[in-house]
Amino acid sequence: MSIRRKLERLTGETGSREKAPDRSQEIGALRRRIDIIMRRRPEVAAPLRSGFDGERVDLGDVVRGDEVENDHGRFFLVHDEIPSSSRHGSRRIEEISSLDMRRAALIANEDEIAGFHCTDGLFLDTETTGLSGGTGTIAFLIGIGWFDGNAFVTEQLFARDFSEERAALAYLSDLARRKRFLITFNGKSFDVGLLSSRFIMNRLPDPLSVLPHLDLLHPSRRLLGHRLENSRLGTIEQEVLGFRREGDIPGSEIPQRYFDWLRRRDGRLVGDIFEHNRLDVISMATLTVHLTGLLGYEPVRDDCLHEDALAVARLLLDRGCEDEAQGFLSSLFCSKNRGVADEAGRILSLICKRKGNWTESVRIWEEMITGNACHLFAVEELAKWCEHREGDFDRALNLVQTVLENGHYLSITERNSFTYRLDRLKRRVGK
Amino acid sequence: MATLAIEELVSRMKSNRRFMENVTAMREIPSNEGTFRPFPEWVRPEIASILGKRGIKQLYSHQVHAMESVREGRDVVLVTPTASGKTLCYNLPVLQRIMEESETRALYLFPTKALAQDQMHEVHGLIGDLGVNIRTYTYDGDTPADARQAIRKQGHVVVTNPDMLHTGILPHHTKWQKLFTNLRYVVIDELHVYRGVFGSHLTNVIRRLVRICRFYGCDPVFICCSATVANPREHAENLLERSVELIDKSGAPAASKTFILFNPPIVNRELGIRQSALTPSRKIAADLIGNDIQTIIFTTSRLNVEVLTKYLKDQFSRKKPLGDQFVTGYRGGYLPNLRRKVEQGLRNREVMGVVSTNALELGVDIGDLEACIMAGYPGSIASTWQQAGRAGRRKGHSLAMLISRSSPMDQFIVENPDYFFASSPEHCRVNPDNLLILLHHLKSAAFELPFERGEKFGNENIEELLDYLEEKGVLHRVDDRWHWAAESYPADEVSLRSINPENVVIVDTSNAGDHQVIAEADWDSAFTTVHDDAIYMVESQQYHVDHLDLERKKAYVKKVDVDYYTDAMTYTNVRVIDSFETGRHGNLIAEHGEVQVVRKVVGYKKIKFYTSENLGYGDVTLPEKDMHTTSYWFTIPRDLLSNLPYTQAEIIDGLAGLAYSLHHLAAIILMADIRDIDRSIGDKSGEWFVRHGRDKRMIIAGPHADQDEEGVRTDSFDPTIFIFDAYPGGIGFSDLLYREHEELLTSAGNLIRSCPCAHGCPSCVGPILEVGTMAKEVALAILRLVGRA
Repeated sequence: MSIRRKLERLTGETGSREKAPDRSQEIGALRRRIDIIMRRRPEVAAPLRSGFDGERVDLGDVVRGDEVENDHGRFFLVHDEIPSSSRHGSRRIEEISSLDMRRAALIANEDEIAGFHCTDGLFLDTETTGLSGGTGTIAFLIGIGWFDGNAFVTEQLFARDFSEERAALAYLSDLARRKRFLITFNGKSFDVGLLSSRFIMNRLPDPLSVLPHLDLLHPSRRLLGHRLENSRLGTIEQEVLGFRREGDIPGSEIPQRYFDWLRRRDGRLVGDIFEHNRLDVISMATLTVHLTGLLGYEPVRDDCLHEDALAVARLLLDRGCEDEAQGFLSSLFCSKNRGVADEAGRILSLICKRKGNWTESVRIWEEMITGNACHLFAVEELAKWCEHREGDFDRALNLVQTVLENGHYLSITERNSFTYRLDRLKRRVGK
Repeated sequence: MATLAIEELVSRMKSNRRFMENVTAMREIPSNEGTFRPFPEWVRPEIASILGKRGIKQLYSHQVHAMESVREGRDVVLVTPTASGKTLCYNLPVLQRIMEESETRALYLFPTKALAQDQMHEVHGLIGDLGVNIRTYTYDGDTPADARQAIRKQGHVVVTNPDMLHTGILPHHTKWQKLFTNLRYVVIDELHVYRGVFGSHLTNVIRRLVRICRFYGCDPVFICCSATVANPREHAENLLERSVELIDKSGAPAASKTFILFNPPIVNRELGIRQSALTPSRKIAADLIGNDIQTIIFTTSRLNVEVLTKYLKDQFSRKKPLGDQFVTGYRGGYLPNLRRKVEQGLRNREVMGVVSTNALELGVDIGDLEACIMAGYPGSIASTWQQAGRAGRRKGHSLAMLISRSSPMDQFIVENPDYFFASSPEHCRVNPDNLLILLHHLKSAAFELPFERGEKFGNENIEELLDYLEEKGVLHRVDDRWHWAAESYPADEVSLRSINPENVVIVDTSNAGDHQVIAEADWDSAFTTVHDDAIYMVESQQYHVDHLDLERKKAYVKKVDVDYYTDAMTYTNVRVIDSFETGRHGNLIAEHGEVQVVRKVVGYKKIKFYTSENLGYGDVTLPEKDMHTTSYWFTIPRDLLSNLPYTQAEIIDGLAGLAYSLHHLAAIILMADIRDIDRSIGDKSGEWFVRHGRDKRMIIAGPHADQDEEGVRTDSFDPTIFIFDAYPGGIGFSDLLYREHEELLTSAGNLIRSCPCAHGCPSCVGPILEVGTMAKEVALAILRLVGRA
């Protein structure tokens, strides 16, 4: 039973480790071992980015700003005012002052906003140490903006090190308490959640998550998505707001730039980030003007914009503004853009049908088949109407037959459904 | 035909001489009356009343003990048998507290999603009966994104697993503010599962949990439950790093049980071959099931589950038409709904026989079975008792039977029944300060909350490690605090379990228009089970694998009906990266340290059903997989071997035989599962290694060498036998083996010398079909050379 004895000796004292080897030696060995592993995983420790060689440049020489001190410490603040008369892309800054708050509320789907003034809004955009979220990601640069009646003010709160985050957050907190709603681009799923987390980590109250929030990403996708390659703010600027950035830093490079800054304190590393962030905030402001503008649609020439209007009509329907939506749809039904006209007619006819306004529905369907006797939707609806409401089987039969005779493009399901209808109609006519 | 009750069957076995010839021990485990206590006074009458309606009018003594301790805020570990009402020990105090203070939160950790689901249903049941508003949710990878927010804010009881705590909860603790500020109870069930690497990780996850709790100002009570292991209290204290009260006197009644150890007869003395454990398992299981005795058969591999399920299905379908569910398989890899169906079938006795891997060993609710057959030693004494506990719970008689295979471990257990019955089960070991594991968790912890100077994390002075991480640019120090300063999400970099979290889905393309996912395989086992041309079996239906698409993580299979199955052949190559310690023992040099292990599946064998005849071979081209781990090894100088009067092929066979017995003995010495360690023969540089070819063993230069290349002579390298931890990063076994080097070699000498076989058998140097007829003799000669035999 020597194995038994051995086992007891081996396993009896798991808790107390026998004579730990010399720690420093072990650490040295550890380094070697980890280095071996790390070498096989190149992405782990990224080297400093090149391109900023030569003499280090102070932050103050790259960005004009001041150190701010409060009860929670210090941070670096850049304050800027853009006069109302300036332009940003195809918009003028002063257009913000005429922001229609009811429409802003509709876009945000936050009724409360309708009762506020445009100066109550706080635009917000953050630059962070990572995109994956989680408690290890901080917002090292918080860009905010608001309209004060005469100018659009932007402020950028920069934590020059992790230790300055708390003071910056406290400053943001004070400012947010004076505002009544928030405007961001993708802030609902990113910036605000991340800042809430930072407030908790710094044991500060979170003033942001209680504010009504207009996140421009979702309405932009809804109203403009059909003509954008993607819904990034940069793309919208270029395609919709008529603004093109020069030499903008790609978002993916931002975290590493900040980590490099922490080690080298070279202002050139973060200069681009300040500019990128400032432009984001201003573009959000003009995008808000643009989106609310779309809701006040007046017949436009450009066919492309008809699609925007169709998207607006859909949004209005979702928000329960049926009369307004109908206004849009009626005028879009005359659009030269066939796709838009068709879709507008379809939606409009269904609204009328639901309200029992058959005359109007039938008018629309008939108009739809005037240009196209094989308009499947219109034919089906008309055939249903003829069969079930008018008892005019002959006409229904006629309509359906026309489609089946000319409709070589029908899908199997469509053909089956029309054939089924045809057979039934034949039986009824025969009776 | 009238059916026999289990007592009658057992007494018939006893009087069957041929059967009893193979029984090495038969023990009667008496029933236990149980010790009952009334509900503690503080228990709300509503709770007592709904339990009363379920037939629980009073509690077992251990339940009262546990509840009182928890109530008084003491951390406990509860070690009582299956079906002794462990879950009530934590559910009652938790629900009571939530009813008293509605903000109270509790976190339950289970090692698998299935157990978490089970537990959630149990708590739901209690809450439903109570008619109170206590919200219980599971939170794991399957939780829909839109439900997560509600769970984080409103869940009173959150049931999850350590992996989710590690990657999904702790790194986002601010979203769980409500939970962490009100957390009163942390329940960790199946504590014994957390040993080795998994346990070392868990300890670090607990360190992180405690750290986050401290940030939110809470100090929860820990309630742990464990199967019987040798050191439950110590293990709990190692995992939690705090003192814990042990409750191990069960007050639950238990049925009497007959426990049989069965050694299948030797069918070929010359070759030392015993009848396969599957054969008696099949016969006895068929006899039991045929007598309406609900039986579970545990096998040691997924493949055996399928083979045995097929045998039993064949047998019963011959007699009479039966439901498809009458006998069924169960293992990881079956889709969840199929598994739920089997569990349900077991509870309502539609399934009368189930063949399972250890997947059913843990507390998945499958009701009370009457008989348990273990086809092969499960690898540890604790697992054996746990599996045996699946049969017979509170009343009546039950049967448990261990049928041994030919391996040295199995043989040791059945031939030494006193050792088995008297021995305490295994110790659970963890090594949370394993530097690599610790480093991973330090990163995750820094991500969760900056480290302060002087802060403790485990038993180590972590400042040097923090400095190291700062140097590497993932941490940044300012004002004596270390902040996470990298873009990555450190919790994603490490999986708590040794297996790769990736899965391969198996798609049945038999019906061209209707492809169906029939199973999944984890990344590692996919290489050996669903390689091109493999025969894959689910529920004993055979499928031919047309193509394994690793990129898309899919294996395309078609239904077939053939008379064989396939068994993959792999090779293993070990290269030393760093030697931690070196010791000279006579003319041998023993070492332990870090190694790189490369494995590759090179081909497969076709094996005929029932006869196990080898029908042929096929090649497999799959990428190799490599792993860093720790190993113990020793090198035999080539000059020494050149004095032996054997050919180089015979010397290689001898080394292989020696490695075989060392591998098995190491598992016994470590009291570890045989699969926790592995072996390889090569040289330290990784330049040469020994590989099993189609018909002979050969030395190959480098892992990429051609299979048919001419073998290299033993005298061109110093052969080294590696016994390594089968988990990335190592579990710390190799250090222990290094210290037991002499004992290990002496035991191997004793084992091989005293084995009654002629030329070698599975109980000493391995089956001679694998190691050749000279292995035994040469292995002994080598041991004599080094003074161990």
